[in-house]
Amino acid sequence: MLPALSDLRLSFIFPAFSSDYENHPGSGIGAFDTLFGELLLRASETADGRLASFRFRDNNFLNDELLTQYVTFLYSCTLSALIRKAGRKPVVTAGYSMGIYSALYDAGSISFETGLRMIGAAYESITKHMTTHNYAMGALIGLNREDISGIIREHDLHAEITNQNAAHAFVVTGSRDSVTRLLELAMEEGALHSRDLGVTVPYHSEYLRKASEIFSTFVDTLEVGSPTLPVLSLVDHSLLTTPEQVRREVVRNLYRPLNWAVAMKSLLGLGITGFVECGPATGLSRNARFVEGVTFYPPASLLS
Amino acid sequence: MAAITESIKQEVKEIVYNFFAEECEVDVSRIQDDTSIINDLDGDSLMFLELIEIFKKKYNLDIELKVIGKYAVKHPVNTIGELIRMQLLIIEHENRLLELDQ
Repeated sequence: MLPALSDLRLSFIFPAFSSDYENHPGSGIGAFDTLFGELLLRASETADGRLASFRFRDNNFLNDELLTQYVTFLYSCTLSALIRKAGRKPVVTAGYSMGIYSALYDAGSISFETGLRMIGAAYESITKHMTTHNYAMGALIGLNREDISGIIREHDLHAEITNQNAAHAFVVTGSRDSVTRLLELAMEEGALHSRDLGVTVPYHSEYLRKASEIFSTFVDTLEVGSPTLPVLSLVDHSLLTTPEQVRREVVRNLYRPLNWAVAMKSLLGLGITGFVECGPATGLSRNARFVEGVTFYPPASLLS
Repeated sequence: MAAITESIKQEVKEIVYNFFAEECEVDVSRIQDDTSIINDLDGDSLMFLELIEIFKKKYNLDIELKVIGKYAVKHPVNTIGELIRMQLLIIEHENRLLELDQ
């Protein structure tokens, strides 16, 4: 039996970016439209003027990596603010990949504008550093970590595991040729599914270490405060509570692998009884279905 | 290896239908054996994996995911009916599934 909503120890979870806005949880909620519109205007004035023309249906920028990250950030900030306004407050938050910025905003560690600046600067650091787009990320379902590492070693591939979503669900990153070959070899080895994620930036891999150094210099110039509640690191699953830890986290988040499966277990270990995905889709809640004890609550159920 | 009885066939069918109805948020009456998992239900491979885990637990199966993966490459599953047939073969043959192709 699930605990009553008022008894929940909540964790807000923030996605990196959306791949669609169909049936997004804010749809049809007047307060959502109002706040989202306000934040969109602020973001278009301070981060990127193109954001002013965003529309969920017919101009949603889903083919633009940077703009999609901005919009997802705006979306997440809106949703978490409304849930808080409805009296539901998390005891710990976590951000998946680039969702770290909205998690930090929700936790009061950075301002809305600083979040936007971090997103823009991270993207700029990456694109400045990367002279080619010969990188790729892929998803692999059905093999375990040892199987995948074994294929990489055996075939001397320039690829690495950069996230674990479940015991048999991984994200791999590397040179485009190596990732393509890895996905093929994995299917021969018995993977149930493999997919090129259509991303040209090798997020969470060693390939971004240099870019992270450029980003680090910029982060040092930004105002970062102590989070008002702990933020879980997806890199080492520690709790971020100081500005120094936050600065270090946003930098290493670019080039260090993540482990979503362990993160969910860590949150359960902290006594979390309810999770809320503060974003436009349900990808994170779907990824968490293999972690026993995890219950996600639709954001709309917490807004009344 | 388990002998597949009519009762097991019915049970597997019910589990698969109810699983996709819940996961894909559709009424179970909309699901038929010829329903496409991806095109009609917007299903994904994680659902397939989750279903395998459900059957592994329920029937205490000794089967490696890799064996299923290798079998699925040669016998792709697109519809609910095909998925049910594969689950029954998994229950019946477990890790010897690939011997069916020899």
